[in-house]
Amino acid sequence: MSPGPALALLGAVVAAALLATHTASLAVIVVVLTVVAVRAARHAWVYVAGIAFSAATIFVITPFVETLGSHPIWTGPIVPVVGELDVTREELWSGAHGALRFAAVGLAFAVYALVLDHDRLLEGTRFARRFVLTVVLATRLAPTLDRDARALAEAMRARGIEVRGVRTRTRLLSPLLAGSLERALNLAEAMEARGYGRGATTRLPRASWSNADRAAVAFAAAVVALGVLWL
Amino acid sequence: MAVARVDGLSFTYPGPARPALADVSLEFEAGEVVLVLGPSGSGKSTLLRALGGLVPHFHGGTFAGRVELGGADTRRHRPSELAGAIAYVFQDPEEQLVRERVDGEVAFGLENTGAPANAIRARTHAALDALGVAHLAGRRVHDLSGGELQRVCLAGALALEPTLLVLDEPTSQLDPDAAGELLDLATRQAHDHGLAVVLSEQRPANALEHADRVLFVDGGRVVCDARVEDAVAWLERHRPAYVANPEPPSGSPSPGDVVCSLRAASYAYRDVPAVDGFDLELRSGEIVALLGPNGSGKTTIAKLCAGLLEPQRGTVTRRGRATMLLQDAGRHSVRDRAEDEVALAIRGDRRRARAALESVGLGSAVERHPHDLSSGERERLALAAVLAPEPDLLVLDEPTKGADPERKQALAAFLRAQAHERATLVVTHDLGFAHAVADRRIELGAAAELVHA
Repeated sequence: MSPGPALALLGAVVAAALLATHTASLAVIVVVLTVVAVRAARHAWVYVAGIAFSAATIFVITPFVETLGSHPIWTGPIVPVVGELDVTREELWSGAHGALRFAAVGLAFAVYALVLDHDRLLEGTRFARRFVLTVVLATRLAPTLDRDARALAEAMRARGIEVRGVRTRTRLLSPLLAGSLERALNLAEAMEARGYGRGATTRLPRASWSNADRAAVAFAAAVVALGVLWL
Repeated sequence: MAVARVDGLSFTYPGPARPALADVSLEFEAGEVVLVLGPSGSGKSTLLRALGGLVPHFHGGTFAGRVELGGADTRRHRPSELAGAIAYVFQDPEEQLVRERVDGEVAFGLENTGAPANAIRARTHAALDALGVAHLAGRRVHDLSGGELQRVCLAGALALEPTLLVLDEPTSQLDPDAAGELLDLATRQAHDHGLAVVLSEQRPANALEHADRVLFVDGGRVVCDARVEDAVAWLERHRPAYVANPEPPSGSPSPGDVVCSLRAASYAYRDVPAVDGFDLELRSGEIVALLGPNGSGKTTIAKLCAGLLEPQRGTVTRRGRATMLLQDAGRHSVRDRAEDEVALAIRGDRRRARAALESVGLGSAVERHPHDLSSGERERLALAAVLAPEPDLLVLDEPTKGADPERKQALAAFLRAQAHERATLVVTHDLGFAHAVADRRIELGAAAELVHA
């Protein structure tokens, strides 16, 4: 499938996840996207773990910041400013809904980053080419940062320093940032040396869409409609 | 006919008071291969960047004089406008990759410079074909070896059909065979198609065989500009480290106890074997050099010795403490002061940290931020950081990458002087450095098999 229709399909899934009102529908979307991401690449767990942690945080925090429902499961102490702490069944459902919605959007991005051929996506872009190139380069940042962080931790271990605890890990942030900036500058220089930013560009002729591509776009529209009407 | 002309060029980067280039005047003729030599920080890269307008447009700074490329004044044209007439290949191929697939990467410059859309694919494949890597066209760039990547970058440059090709230390990450092949390909293009090639290198022996003319840059000035034969004579008189055959160490102490031994050690990355059934013994007082082509498992063996990896099959025994200087160690500093950086591994012992800094000639840099140091100083800081814990085994992975011949000579002398204190394992592509520093050399074949010891 061409990356354009694949991106449309992913966008439709995100739209459906944002429109869906049934928690079970969201759960199905999350499961499907997780399977696709995990089967796409071995290092997908980095994305999945990060998204799972963030979604779990949303699930835990929501009942304490929302005031919803009339079926209390737990009632806690009265906290100054915040008021009485309680957790209702409706707040738990709301937390689960928000967490799944976040996970669906995050996993759709993971699938975009792991599965899509970004080169072909860029080749197929008819407008906003600079924006798409920036997005494509930014997408590469996550695995690059992961690689740099591992290299830094290994360099510490090579000097006999174990990288444990928040304090030691925090020390890695500054060199990681410095490394990223250096890398970005080197890339920017190489791009300008290769004519980037000159205007009046051309591009490789785009491959025409296949029947599968057309079907994917039609299916994407159907998924959005499904989200509006039934999910 | 001159394809580029430099007239009275002086340039100072923003910040430092000392000019990076001072009153440089040169011409580059079509079809000639010009080798630019000089110590690290002498202004070689600045000169190369000035030819395409990256200096001053991209880097800023104070620019005086004039650089013309095909008659176009680089002060009046941005580098992107000059691209096509000039093409660059930089030192680290991974840091110049924009696209994910090889054909897209080669086509990137053609698209930017407005090559006719229906000619882009043909020119892309012609460039890949000329460099013998047409079979890589559909591959992901991140799946390629260092040598393949650098060829792809060279193909991207050649596809532009430039009149001036600039190669800034393009072989620093390659083993001698791959480096020789890349230089062969680049110089053949120059002679076949009449383009001028300007090449900077820190391993001059191979490059001198390919060059027609040599420039030696020192302190921002061109102190030698001569045909190869005359330049070699000049180097022998003034900079012998650049042409000398390294002398093997004399009077090596007899090796002491075994500090590390690998027995039938194997290691694989995602089921791809990197080291298979490898034996090695390192003794106190000896320096062992590990040589071999890219992908032969040198770094994996080094990490097994240093304890960064454990063998999946076979055994490793280590006695005492091991530290390892990884590749690009200058990028791995985490503290704000040089002294703190070195003291990190020795529980903040400032006295020992200062002694380690003194030993590598950085006694005056105690208070400086590691990122404010030059690239050579950063590498020496990293060396001090692995020496400070007084290891029984010191492992160095490509410690001469980017170092000029004089610095390599100094590093070899430094390691020799300290050899009696520990066992030292040096992983290197640099045959000359291995010859100068090691008591014993081990050459690996393609899959970590012992070829010669």
